Amino acid sequence: MKLHSNIHDDISLKQFVIPGLTRNPAFSWIPAGVYPVLDTGQESRVLDATNVAVYKRIRFVISNLAIAILNGIVWGLIMALIALGLNMIFGLLHIINMAHGALYMLGAVVAWYLIEVTGSFWIALIIAPLCVGAIGLIIERGLIRTIEDKPITTIICTFGVMLAVQQLVLMIFGGSPRRISPPVAYRFPLFELQYPAMRIMIALISIVLMIGLWIFLRKTKYGLWMRAVVQDREMAVGLGIPVNKVYMWTFVLGSALAAFSGVLAAPIVSVEFMMGRDILIMAFIIVIVGGMGNLGGSVLAAIMISLIQGIGSLFVPPSIATVFALAFMILVLMFRPQGLFGE
Amino acid sequence: MVEKKSKKKVEGILKKEISRRDFIKTTALGAAGLSLSSWAPVPFTYGAEPPIKIGMFNEYTVFATEYGYWLGKVGKAAIAKLNAEGGIAKRKVELVDYDTKANPAWSASMFKKMILEDKADMIMGSIHSGVHKACFPLAEQYKIPFFSGGAMTYELTGKDGIPYYIRNHTHARTQALAGWKWGFDNLGKKWTFLVADYAWGHSLAREFGSRIVAAGGKTQEIRAPQATQDFVPYLQKVDPDTEVLFTAFLGSAALGVLRQTVEVGLHKRLQRYTVICCTEGIGQEVVGKESIGAYYIEYHPRHFDQVPKELQAYDKAYRKACGVTDDGREVGNPKVTIAGSHMWSMWIYPYMIKLGIEQTGWKDSKKNADLINAICSLKLKAGPWCPVGDLDMRVQDHQGFTDHYISKVEPDLKLKVLHRIPKENVMYDPEIDFRKML
Repeated sequence: MKLHSNIHDDISLKQFVIPGLTRNPAFSWIPAGVYPVLDTGQESRVLDATNVAVYKRIRFVISNLAIAILNGIVWGLIMALIALGLNMIFGLLHIINMAHGALYMLGAVVAWYLIEVTGSFWIALIIAPLCVGAIGLIIERGLIRTIEDKPITTIICTFGVMLAVQQLVLMIFGGSPRRISPPVAYRFPLFELQYPAMRIMIALISIVLMIGLWIFLRKTKYGLWMRAVVQDREMAVGLGIPVNKVYMWTFVLGSALAAFSGVLAAPIVSVEFMMGRDILIMAFIIVIVGGMGNLGGSVLAAIMISLIQGIGSLFVPPSIATVFALAFMILVLMFRPQGLFGE
Repeated sequence: MVEKKSKKKVEGILKKEISRRDFIKTTALGAAGLSLSSWAPVPFTYGAEPPIKIGMFNEYTVFATEYGYWLGKVGKAAIAKLNAEGGIAKRKVELVDYDTKANPAWSASMFKKMILEDKADMIMGSIHSGVHKACFPLAEQYKIPFFSGGAMTYELTGKDGIPYYIRNHTHARTQALAGWKWGFDNLGKKWTFLVADYAWGHSLAREFGSRIVAAGGKTQEIRAPQATQDFVPYLQKVDPDTEVLFTAFLGSAALGVLRQTVEVGLHKRLQRYTVICCTEGIGQEVVGKESIGAYYIEYHPRHFDQVPKELQAYDKAYRKACGVTDDGREVGNPKVTIAGSHMWSMWIYPYMIKLGIEQTGWKDSKKNADLINAICSLKLKAGPWCPVGDLDMRVQDHQGFTDHYISKVEPDLKLKVLHRIPKENVMYDPEIDFRKML
């Protein structure tokens, strides 16, 4: 942040008299005038302008810190959903899915069309991931299955899918960004600013989805098969697990998770054909930091990176705070090349 | 098998005997056909002059596509009108059209292709300053007139410019000259600039900011990447005493910043001010009710009923030719909003080229210098080819000047013009004199 001049710098030193403002002995350790909100005692007093400025500044910093932490967690949870899908596909199929960001975008675009027809965000939240999951199924069966043991070819192939999906959406949906209205418009006060309740709701939905995914992986037959294939593919085949089917459903699930994130993020960001481009890079960073193939690691890494960026942006311009996330990734790769939680 | 068949066919043709009568009959028929064909109605047969080729490139994919779509559409409509009216100096005008992909390196290769392969006589289009800069060396090397579609970095017709570059539209400095004083007097003295972290955003913050500070105001500048999706980390840095929040982003980021300003409640304690570039090609309904109360600087009103009365007849015809409704949407596709403050540049250029060629007797690139000087000396009056009102070109720096407008988003999500700023108010001293360099 570059300041041509600081607005607070020239507050004159004339005295402000705040009538009726009294001091609570419980907060006597706080210098007088620094935090008048806490003052609720008996005696009136006078604050000078410098103290008012200091008070304002402290309140501003606390407000910023609270928002940075809250927003970091919310974005971390959305990013975790995207990274989970990416990591699942990598963990099981060993495919670096370059089309994952395009599937995230596709989720938002399909949701936009569904909302146009039904008028309901919640219907779109359920149906859009199913539609994108079906597209994922076509991609897996039609393209990836034949080349799934050739990593370089799959990268090129999924990159091609990404470009094809982007251009197709540009052709049909157009280049202008569109908006999905937040289904919850309520905002709650947070110090100097307000915070939209919708973001908290998105975070909660993400948590529910992640718990659902954990139950699916731990408590269902398919989840067991998936874990078995990750551990030892040959043994899984020998035991009669339908590995091809497991691959297919994993790709479908990964695609649907990307679409879920797209629908959830759409009321915050805008829907457009390039919205998956930058998200993909951040999702890869999260997967690398969390450990490739480690789903829990992805969740924690997503929240950590978002918090690093959020809190870092209090001290440096937010665009530079992104460098912190990259520096963090480099440090992790130097000391734990397998990722923070990878084995 | 295939080889045998074709061999037989060839032999058949060769063996066929042609009598003298057959030969005379065929020749006579051919000659009659040829002479008749010269009588057939052909749109452009005005002598042996080849067509004038105009190269066009715009951002059709990747980024700023809402601009590219309209600049391309209006450019084509203008050339069609020009040809329907007899072309330029009785020569047909042909258009070759390419995508810049918003990529300077790619655009430079397309620019070269248009010059060398398509034999374009002049090139127009693109709103991307980086694309323009990348093409400058080629325009200089081949001495090709290059017309800006909508690049807003003011230095392009200043210290960073080239003598072959022509811009008939506004840019960051003229916008600042148009809008800073009105904003300072009516909206507030303490400004925060939240702008895209590249040349255009910096340019706007610098141009507005320097004037605000000089007038005794205070400014704060926050830069964010153009691709920013979540603006909360940036908005929370806005100084609590700020009275005016000036934002400058394109596309989805422009939507995001306007909406998220409301989401965090900042709109209650400050005024939002921006340039129309931010939501060109995007309907206010897409931004949503969060845009109500925001102030814009427009370079031509989006809605027909906001166009000054004396320009309405011209504007009506221009909208009809370009397939635009009175409400500023595409005919037959009401979800598509026009890039109304930008696209007119492509409507006016073909006419400026026509006037320039007619004045100089230009035939080919040998007279490009004269052509550029003639075009940049034009003082266009409002008319069917200049629906935005009078347009003054300045021969020194090849910059054009038109009126600007301050508009506000009303509760019905329409941009209502509050104030018209005459072109004389946005003029500044030229930084360079290209006349000596051509």
